[in-house]
Amino acid sequence: MMNHDQPSAKDQCGKIWSGIQLLKDTTENKHFLPTGLEGIDTLLGGGLRQGQLTEVTGPSSSGKTQVCLHSASLVAAKNMGVVMYLDTSNSFSASRVATIIDGSSDLFELGLDLQPKDMRLKSVMRSIICESVFDIFALFEVLHQLEVSLLNDKVNNGGSKMCLLIIDSISSLLAPIIGGKYPQGRSMMISVAMILKKLADEHNLSVLVTNHMVSAGNGAVKPALGESWRAVPHVRLVLSRECGSNICTATVLKHTLKASGRTAKFVVPS
Amino acid sequence: MLSEEQSQKHITTGSGDLNNILGGGIHCKEVTEIGGVPGVGKTQLGIQLAINVQIPVEYGGLGGKAVYIDTEGSFMVERVYQIAEGCISDILEHFPHSHEKSSFAQKQLQPEHFLADIYYFRVCSYTEQIAAINYLEKFLGEHKDVRIVIIDSVTFHFRQDFDDMALRTRVLSGLSLKLMKIAKAYNLAVVLLNQVTTKFTEGSFQLTLALGDSWSHSCTNRLILYWNGNDRYAYLDKSPSLPVASAPYAVTGKGVRDAGNSNHKRVRVT
Repeated sequence: MMNHDQPSAKDQCGKIWSGIQLLKDTTENKHFLPTGLEGIDTLLGGGLRQGQLTEVTGPSSSGKTQVCLHSASLVAAKNMGVVMYLDTSNSFSASRVATIIDGSSDLFELGLDLQPKDMRLKSVMRSIICESVFDIFALFEVLHQLEVSLLNDKVNNGGSKMCLLIIDSISSLLAPIIGGKYPQGRSMMISVAMILKKLADEHNLSVLVTNHMVSAGNGAVKPALGESWRAVPHVRLVLSRECGSNICTATVLKHTLKASGRTAKFVVPS
Repeated sequence: MLSEEQSQKHITTGSGDLNNILGGGIHCKEVTEIGGVPGVGKTQLGIQLAINVQIPVEYGGLGGKAVYIDTEGSFMVERVYQIAEGCISDILEHFPHSHEKSSFAQKQLQPEHFLADIYYFRVCSYTEQIAAINYLEKFLGEHKDVRIVIIDSVTFHFRQDFDDMALRTRVLSGLSLKLMKIAKAYNLAVVLLNQVTTKFTEGSFQLTLALGDSWSHSCTNRLILYWNGNDRYAYLDKSPSLPVASAPYAVTGKGVRDAGNSNHKRVRVT
């Protein structure tokens, strides 16, 4: 018996899907959430895919937080659903969200430019839930509570369900426990990964996380969190920014649908 | 959330140009890292901020106290007294004596009072540094009027004596998360002063901030102080809501001020 709505979590556990059901689910439910930054959306094939975990990594100040803020603002402004923003570095700023929306060219299409500014911002901010998380145990707590509320269908904003979960940055939370002699750190990292992928799949969320870079010997850099994390995200992008400019470059490290190695430039508007 | 942000006061740095690139001054609830070569004025800026946070609310400041954690012993009390006097004379110049301002408030503008409201901790090893930061939470719970915590410098005890780099990374990331939590929970600004080191990338040696790539990821804002000929400049390297920008500043007998008035500048000592 095929459901035309998104199947509930109970149905998904242990349910065996046929190819036709999967295709139907993909075309009907797994949409792309645009980030609002043209170069990145092109690289991603439309945006952040629902049901997938996307990682954005890069050296310091390369634009990772901006990608997160842009996605959150645009998804909220377009009323695509509720956004949950977990911030570990006190970087979420409502005034920045306001600047992004005011500068966005999509507004004109949506007819939102007719609304007064503060009304517009209020309705956008109502769709963004921002929480500060400062250690890994707090993250587990938040994710667990999220799981429970999603199961009980409580996370909605007058009808729209949650569609985007952003963690900026997950590597800051994992850095204090990874490495060293004891494997508990790495096992916690894998637990978090499993929970995030489960949330993405069962509740049709798109999950966006940011990671930083560490040195790889001989002056090269590589994404942090090690080899075990490499296999976790579905899509991985590396950002970089030339000193003193607003132009950032994104390179695809890993993608489920497209070839990796492609790059695109995007501009972070101020 | 937006209204809260807009009503946040910033801590002025003493130099108008510097305040401009920082969006009004040092932000509360955020961790700002300030780095530069020796002699460029980091400690001067730290001391200036410890004084400026105490500017009474009637004169446009925050009227808060400061916590100064000194790891290098560069906190010279005579200089702090001088800077306090300079700050007071500037306030009195800016707000000429009028009958509306209570004479009590004017009497409070004594350098001794400014010195009395700086809580000074001297740490002599990295374990003491970690202990001081762990103790801060309890201390701040008892002293709710502290509005800035300055650590000068956060690097010093972590550069030598560390055989295990992975341990250093873990300890530092844990430290930065604790500081983020304190900044958010007690609504204060955290300012970390950092040193520079040389890094070998792409075949050449470059000056970068010390403590590695993971550390550069764990602050909200970063300001780099550098020399341009004989002038001091500050470059905003990382910020979630402001574009990168540079501004000149000067260190005078009265403290950190705008560049331009070249009579009182402290010259570069090479």
